[in-house]
Amino acid sequence: MSHRPDRELTPAELEAFGQELDELRQRTLADLGEADARYIRRVRGVVRLCCWAGRALLMFGWFPPTWLLGTFLLGLGKILENMELGHNVMHGQYDWMNDPEFAGRQYEWDIVGPADFWRHTHNHVHHTYTNVLGMDDDVGYGVVRLFPEQRWKPFYRWQPLWVTIQALLFQYAVAIQHLRLDKLVKGRISKEEVRPLARQFSAKLARQWGKDYLAFPLLALLLGANAMAVLTGNLVANLLRNLWTFLVIFCGHFTEKAAVFAPEILQGETRGHWYLRQLRGSSNLSGGPLLHILTGNLSHQIEHHLFPDLPARRYAELAREVRLIAERHGQHYNCGTLWGQFATVLRRIWIYRLPSAGTA
Amino acid sequence: MALLSLSGARWLAAYLQPLRQLCANGWLREADVDLCLRQLHAALRLNRVFAQVEARRWVADDMLALQLRCNGNARDWRAGQHVQLYLEQDGVRHGRSYSLTSVATDGHIEIAIKRQPGGRLSNLLLDHLEVGEVIELGQAFGEFAWPQKHNAVLLLAAGSGITPLLGLLRDALARGFAAPVTLLHQVRHQGQQAFAAELQALSARHANFQVQRVFSGEGDRLSAERLAALPGDHLRVCGPRGFVEQACGWWHDAERGSSVQSESFSPLPLLAETEAGEVRLSFARSRQQVSGSSNANLLEQAEAAGLRPAHGCRQGICTSCTCLLLAGTVRDLRSGELFAEPGQPIRLCVSAPHGDVEIDL
Repeated sequence: MSHRPDRELTPAELEAFGQELDELRQRTLADLGEADARYIRRVRGVVRLCCWAGRALLMFGWFPPTWLLGTFLLGLGKILENMELGHNVMHGQYDWMNDPEFAGRQYEWDIVGPADFWRHTHNHVHHTYTNVLGMDDDVGYGVVRLFPEQRWKPFYRWQPLWVTIQALLFQYAVAIQHLRLDKLVKGRISKEEVRPLARQFSAKLARQWGKDYLAFPLLALLLGANAMAVLTGNLVANLLRNLWTFLVIFCGHFTEKAAVFAPEILQGETRGHWYLRQLRGSSNLSGGPLLHILTGNLSHQIEHHLFPDLPARRYAELAREVRLIAERHGQHYNCGTLWGQFATVLRRIWIYRLPSAGTA
Repeated sequence: MALLSLSGARWLAAYLQPLRQLCANGWLREADVDLCLRQLHAALRLNRVFAQVEARRWVADDMLALQLRCNGNARDWRAGQHVQLYLEQDGVRHGRSYSLTSVATDGHIEIAIKRQPGGRLSNLLLDHLEVGEVIELGQAFGEFAWPQKHNAVLLLAAGSGITPLLGLLRDALARGFAAPVTLLHQVRHQGQQAFAAELQALSARHANFQVQRVFSGEGDRLSAERLAALPGDHLRVCGPRGFVEQACGWWHDAERGSSVQSESFSPLPLLAETEAGEVRLSFARSRQQVSGSSNANLLEQAEAAGLRPAHGCRQGICTSCTCLLLAGTVRDLRSGELFAEPGQPIRLCVSAPHGDVEIDL
């Protein structure tokens, strides 16, 4: 990985590296308690407040102050629900509370992708095989070439356009990932294998559209309010959420200093190795508490990948120690501002659309 | 301030079926519906069982009977079964099992809680749970039942083992069971004779029922000879594991018949820290019992037993294989930490049984 100033670790060093991170994890686990439980319940309270207040304000029609604020609040509520609440709860970060309302296996989130799909494509595939080419489908989601190590295909030429469409429709892009339509087209899986998944997806889609684009506009009609204003507000709120989640997620693993790996790296991979791969493949965003909470603490992407099942509110304090551990072991700690990191992502999208950049 | 009485909430619960359907099919989120319902009454929920404390009554020096009234969600509960009682402490919802000593059709139930020396939860319940408070319960479970045939019944209880037997006994006598019933209750000292006055009153009212007591603190214990002298064709026995195993052994040695039901409430045997040994694995949903090893993870052992649990990374990251621990203790293979909370989600791939365990799989 020539673009990262990392020191290669000997097996003994790697073991020590893994041990330090394990100890950090243990210390944090032992400390979980009341404050973490109160925090996630409070987050859920804020989500409810934002969504319900947003939906109430949208009932006042096109009047700009209420429509704009209502749409913004609904979008904010969905962002918080998807990122700080749903994503983190579904990782099992709060399973220790033994509270069925925060059980990772059962949580269903406010987005068209069924939670079961996400638990497979994200929790299992992405978090186990992070940035391993050919195994982590999140590397470009099959439509974008971000690293020279990815084999070039003609349609990558137009990838700035594909990425724009993906950003606008991000919730759908994430949802259909699990259907493996690419493999279906190539005939590597059968229609029969996809059908139950497609049914599950369309059921969730019907519920989401039914709620946002049918039930609440109908409620507006019944109340004598403007149904179009409500429908548009929902549409824009979902769009805001799509763009924001796209932005955060693309900054997590595709920045300039993020590394990708060949599948051979998985052979005989130790715990220390796995930690090292997570550190090298992830990138953080620096900023204030507001940025961290709006990204669901995925601004601490490195800590999230090292400790996906620790409550995300702990990542900020973990980050201080992880940075020291990384420095002690000569590893680059990839951190930058949101726009700085995003600029490097855009550069990758632009450069690697061409085959000639393959050897650069 | 509650907008409904508990009776009102119980009445309303019967009409919430459409909401239950919507939640079951994912159109509504149960947690949000519950938030609205609890504004009407603190115990009102869509599916979960919550109960209000209506009375507290000390029935022995170290045992408290709690009179509770459930919201409408308790389904087909019988006296003699157990319920899980949940209490939150330090952000963790802990569960403890207690026996139902009575179940009425109007939602009134009674459980009895014995003080456990050093037990955090039982002491919290005994000392701080006030009348009027609302607590969560699980659905009742357990197969303990009164014999079908009309023959003499022998009940053997040790310590708080009296509680499920009392539940069965009260029910049977109230239904007019006329064959002889003998109850022997073994406790350490006089002050621990739980429900003594009530049992006395029952034996005065029902000529076919007699009660005996043994005080183990005074050197008196149930023995094979003593058991031989007690009448009965059916045996129901409940108490610590040692007591139950001994009593059942004597009963079988005397060839007194196979109508035996027993329950012991001691924790399943725990292995020492380093000892690797054979343990019993019970998989509840697939109704399988296999012998396993305390060294291997539960995922591999379940698969070896022919089960097909959901799984993913097999290294504790993805949570795909998360399952509920129903009983027993498991050890986290990464940290060595022990988990023994019934109803707690555990990851099969990084948990090894630390003694006999029961998993919801």
